[in-house]
Amino acid sequence: MTVVSPEFAEELKEYGDDTALQCFNCGTCVAICPLVDDSFPRRLIRYVQIGARERILASGRDLWKCLHCGLCSRTCPRQADPGEIILGLKRYVLAAWREE
Amino acid sequence: MFDPKIIIDLLAENVRRTGNPFGLSTGSINGWWKGADLPRQGANLLFTGMMYQMVPAINAATGLLGKYEDTPAGDRIRFGRRVPRFLSAAVLKMATAKEDRSAAAGVLMDITRILQASGVDFAYRPELDGYSGILLYDLGDRENFIAHARRVAGRLQEAGVERLITVDPHTTWALRELYPRYTGYRPEVRTYFELARLQGNGDREVTLHDPCFYGRYLELSQVPRTLLAGLGVRCADVNSAGPFTSCCGGPAESVSPALALTVGRRRLAELQATGRPLVTMCPICHANLRRAGADVMDLSALLVRFTRSGENSQKRAE
Ligand code: SF4
Ligand code: SF4
Repeated sequence: MTVVSPEFAEELKEYGDDTALQCFNCGTCVAICPLVDDSFPRRLIRYVQIGARERILASGRDLWKCLHCGLCSRTCPRQADPGEIILGLKRYVLAAWREE
Repeated sequence: MFDPKIIIDLLAENVRRTGNPFGLSTGSINGWWKGADLPRQGANLLFTGMMYQMVPAINAATGLLGKYEDTPAGDRIRFGRRVPRFLSAAVLKMATAKEDRSAAAGVLMDITRILQASGVDFAYRPELDGYSGILLYDLGDRENFIAHARRVAGRLQEAGVERLITVDPHTTWALRELYPRYTGYRPEVRTYFELARLQGNGDREVTLHDPCFYGRYLELSQVPRTLLAGLGVRCADVNSAGPFTSCCGGPAESVSPALALTVGRRRLAELQATGRPLVTMCPICHANLRRAGADVMDLSALLVRFTRSGENSQKRAE
């Protein structure tokens, strides 16, 4: 079961910019991302918005497919900076793994 | 795909111990300058960031990782929570190809010739050169990136270096954007092609692949295009260029060579659609597009043809 925690976005501030709430889930980033995935990176950004910490940790490895190429950030119509959100999530997940 | 944590911990430990992600001694990867008789004093310091010098090790490591990815042995590496032995410095050193080492040295020598022909006052001091730590940053290990960046910045500050010349997009971005933010060191950073002043008439057309950091993060795409246009070299229109360039896939090579190759092949198809010779300006793009099957030339190899020494060596080759 996923526990929804709106405080999660606050917790993530330590790891990167707090822009996830700008995202309105249009999917432009998914369409343009060179990984050609059905839902990356939007799915992870949605998880941040709803505070789905466990789901982020469960799909932690997927974050490292991201090339940090920045194309999604350049084309996001809401300046949500998805590429930097993914980088912040890498930092968050790596810190959690290192604490394990 | 390999366990990112195992890979990142290994790279971070290597950077901490040896200053580069492969655990190789600086002397063993940075010998290109020997015999070049480069000045040790000058208004600008050439700072290579070691990216070109690391390409032989990157190719060796990617080749070895690629062999094991998604195999039972790879699974043991993924789930065994241990560092794969084949990534040890000794194995990597043996696995580096001689032609990769001389190609990397050739790029750096060409860059010094371009700077000399452009009348740029520069020095090279190998003891001040170093890896920027950018891979750690991109992989999310900000803590270890900062620790390393402070060591590199400290050395440069102590030597009173205020102006740097860079040769690759990753190091350029790290020094321009990340070092001021995380270390407080704010040098003036210019790429060698921003300083190049060359003359000639090449009358040809090439396909220039913009790396993400030059094209998008630093918005420098027009600089090499203007330089080339002045030399009679036209750049063919590419689908996805400049700030909207498409990644070569190289940054995935440390965790998934298969993914790096898939993305690289896709990008290569876009680039090859022009039918013109392919030119890159980044060692990571160069290496990954080559792995994807491209015949590719570094920008420096094209520019050096417009210097006297480049002209002479070309004539000798003919
Ligand atoms: S991050 Fe931007 S591009 Fe991606 S879904 Fe949200 S608003 Fe759209
Ligand atoms: S930064 Fe990452 S998520 Fe964004 S387009 Fe590039 S690979 Fe995809």
